[in-house]
Amino acid sequence: MDNVNVLIIEDTKAESDALVKVLEENNYNIVGVATSYKDALDLFYNNKVDVVVIDIFLNGNPDGITFAETINVVPDAARPFVFLTSSTDRKIFERAKLTQPFSFLMKPFNELEILYAIEMAVEKFYAQNDVFLSDEEDTVISKEYLFIKKGKSLKKVHLKEIIFIEVEEKYCNIITEKEKFVILISLTKILDLLDDNNFCRTHRNFIVNTEKILEIVPSDNLILLSGGHKATLSDTYKTIIKKIRTLK
Amino acid sequence: MNIKIKVLFLTLFLSIPSLFFSQQKEGLSIVEKEIKIKSNQYIREVNFQKAQSFFLEKEWDSTLVYSMKQLSIPTKKSELKNYCHYFRGYSFNEKNIHKEAQFELENISKSFEFYFQVKMLLGTIALKQKKYKKAITYFKDFDGNNTPEFFGTRKSNIEHNLGICYLNLKKYDKAEYYFLKSTKTQELKNDTLMLIGGYVDIANLYYVQYKDDLAIPYFQKAYELSKKTNDFNLKRTATKNMAVVEENRKNYPLSLVYRKEFEKWNDSLNNQNKIWEVAKLEKEFAVKQKQKEVTVLEAENKLKVAERNKLFYSAIGLLVLLTAGGYFYSEKIKSNKIIVSQKVALDEMNATKDKLFSIVSHDLRSSVNALKTSNTKLQESLATKNFTELDTQLNTNAAITNGAYNLLDNLLHWALLQTQQGYFEITYMRLFFIVEQVAYNYKPLLLDKNISFENTVTKKDLIDADQESLKIILRNLLDNAIKFSNENGSIKVYSRNTNDTYCELVIEDNGLGMSEGTRLELLKDTALLSKKENENIIGTGLGMQLVKQMLQKNNGKFNIESELGKGTKMIVSLPKTAR
Repeated sequence: MDNVNVLIIEDTKAESDALVKVLEENNYNIVGVATSYKDALDLFYNNKVDVVVIDIFLNGNPDGITFAETINVVPDAARPFVFLTSSTDRKIFERAKLTQPFSFLMKPFNELEILYAIEMAVEKFYAQNDVFLSDEEDTVISKEYLFIKKGKSLKKVHLKEIIFIEVEEKYCNIITEKEKFVILISLTKILDLLDDNNFCRTHRNFIVNTEKILEIVPSDNLILLSGGHKATLSDTYKTIIKKIRTLK
Repeated sequence: MNIKIKVLFLTLFLSIPSLFFSQQKEGLSIVEKEIKIKSNQYIREVNFQKAQSFFLEKEWDSTLVYSMKQLSIPTKKSELKNYCHYFRGYSFNEKNIHKEAQFELENISKSFEFYFQVKMLLGTIALKQKKYKKAITYFKDFDGNNTPEFFGTRKSNIEHNLGICYLNLKKYDKAEYYFLKSTKTQELKNDTLMLIGGYVDIANLYYVQYKDDLAIPYFQKAYELSKKTNDFNLKRTATKNMAVVEENRKNYPLSLVYRKEFEKWNDSLNNQNKIWEVAKLEKEFAVKQKQKEVTVLEAENKLKVAERNKLFYSAIGLLVLLTAGGYFYSEKIKSNKIIVSQKVALDEMNATKDKLFSIVSHDLRSSVNALKTSNTKLQESLATKNFTELDTQLNTNAAITNGAYNLLDNLLHWALLQTQQGYFEITYMRLFFIVEQVAYNYKPLLLDKNISFENTVTKKDLIDADQESLKIILRNLLDNAIKFSNENGSIKVYSRNTNDTYCELVIEDNGLGMSEGTRLELLKDTALLSKKENENIIGTGLGMQLVKQMLQKNNGKFNIESELGKGTKMIVSLPKTAR
């Protein structure tokens, strides 16, 4: 599991320092603190950023909104973001609101509030609302990562690293090359959100990353995976053999 | 000699139409009556109605138009058709378009009531066209019939016409027969005008045959009779005939006498014409005069009407002005009343605001003053390196700033609420986490007073609210709970699900509590500033007012349960998210 990368756009040093401290304490990885629109774009495009925390007013201009608008128009560049503001001015909010999905946090804020705001932003951005606060689920799935709530903060797991997923009632065991952990998510949802081309269901309880398949032994109903892992192949799902590139 | 005879013929021929018309007019009166009866029968046929009315008014052109229209509508009533053809034939005849007239009349079926009239007309037309033989065939039909009158068509007239036909065909014996027969009946009836015509014609008949002896008595008879009539034309013809006869007898003096008489009649005819013309002129003049009078009267009338209208409009204008004036006056009074009541309200509000200002500034002043004195103490402690003292002093400082900050924050939100400037968006949220976030700020304060705090709101409680205003509400309620709690007290936040539509959030402390009077005072809508019961603790009341107003905006409800000395329950009801 990796830390979530956060880009902070904030022109007041005292405030950005406090923010960095709070986020680092909660195992977020700060990729940089930008103080202007230009800096922000540089840092954003030169780093792998997962979440952006944006102060609406940069040096007296609502450049924060401009930044959000800029990244929002590029489909692959868009990331979840949180607006920070001390302004309660309605007009500014009306403009900021147009950058959907819209999450904001009123200054001053405490530790819980910023963590909550970041989680909300991630949920809203990937359109999987009400995940982190509910008791039933704790994982949001994007195209590249699983965002998992661990304690007060968020963690991420690259989908490519997953070898297979074993479903146990409402839990899912995620087995990666490095580790093994449990997430809370329903089977239907995980099947729905994972890419069909990379992940295949091989058994009532098994979802396998096709990249990690070493060998399929149909006679034994067995799939050998990298790292010495094994998964079961049931008759119902044998059609996956056709989908996987095989040597002839 | 030949020339003289021709002159005679001309006079003779001219006499025919006049004779003819007189007989037709008599016939027509019966026809008219019958037409009127028919028009009542066919009251639905508009065109027929018009055609007949124009026919009776002798408007021949219009009659032709409407009868044509009537004929163009297909109908099975042959009677209607017959009438229309009759109207057309008659009208064409009047307009001397003989061929058309003949054509129309021939279209009439024999069942037509006035078929004899039709035949008569046909005959006359043939006569006019000099088709004497054809005319004779028409007239002969009547001859065989012994009825003396065919709807006013006199037999004698027909005989006369027959006579004229034969005369023109030079069948003198037949002509003589008919003329004599006709004259006989006319003599019986003593119709002078017709008799003169008849005598002249008989005379002419003989005269043409050079039977002068027979002719002359008739000429004379005609002349004698003409003296009795007033018809200048007849007199003229009779006299002229006498003159020509005498001239031919070479009796020039007598001829001259007749000539002169003829001239006289001719003149009187002209005179009569002139008199008529003069009368006509006079009439026209009189009409013009009348017209002038009428126009003058009309102008006068117009003037009067204009004057009256002017008066009328000015009266209306005045009325409108009056009512408008009245209306505006009443409006003014109304608006004045509103202004006065608004002024009272504004004055009240201003007074409250002033009071608020004084209290807020007083509170802030004392807070800052406390900080000031505390800072001097801090410096002293720092100088004496009394670190334990330093820590407690810093804690008090934090508490003071926290209180001042909350006051200012409330003031800001109060202002935003009044000007409707704040951002407000109702979304669904989990109540538990909002309580957690707000409570997080009060952790040090709770610790300082050693108050136990627990948030037992279930995570499943979903409510609809605006996040920022909900936080303000909770902040104020928690702040109050802490303020009124004793050291080592406890504060509990939990939710009660007794209602389907509302989620009740309870903030319970076991602190000072309040009297029923204070409770009711706090729940009042308007009370901005509660009386300061407890000088040291109770603030402006701004916080409570903000709570109530924010809740109202969030479609929530507010209630307080309290017992003096035992504690207070602040109950916030918020709408549940519909799932």
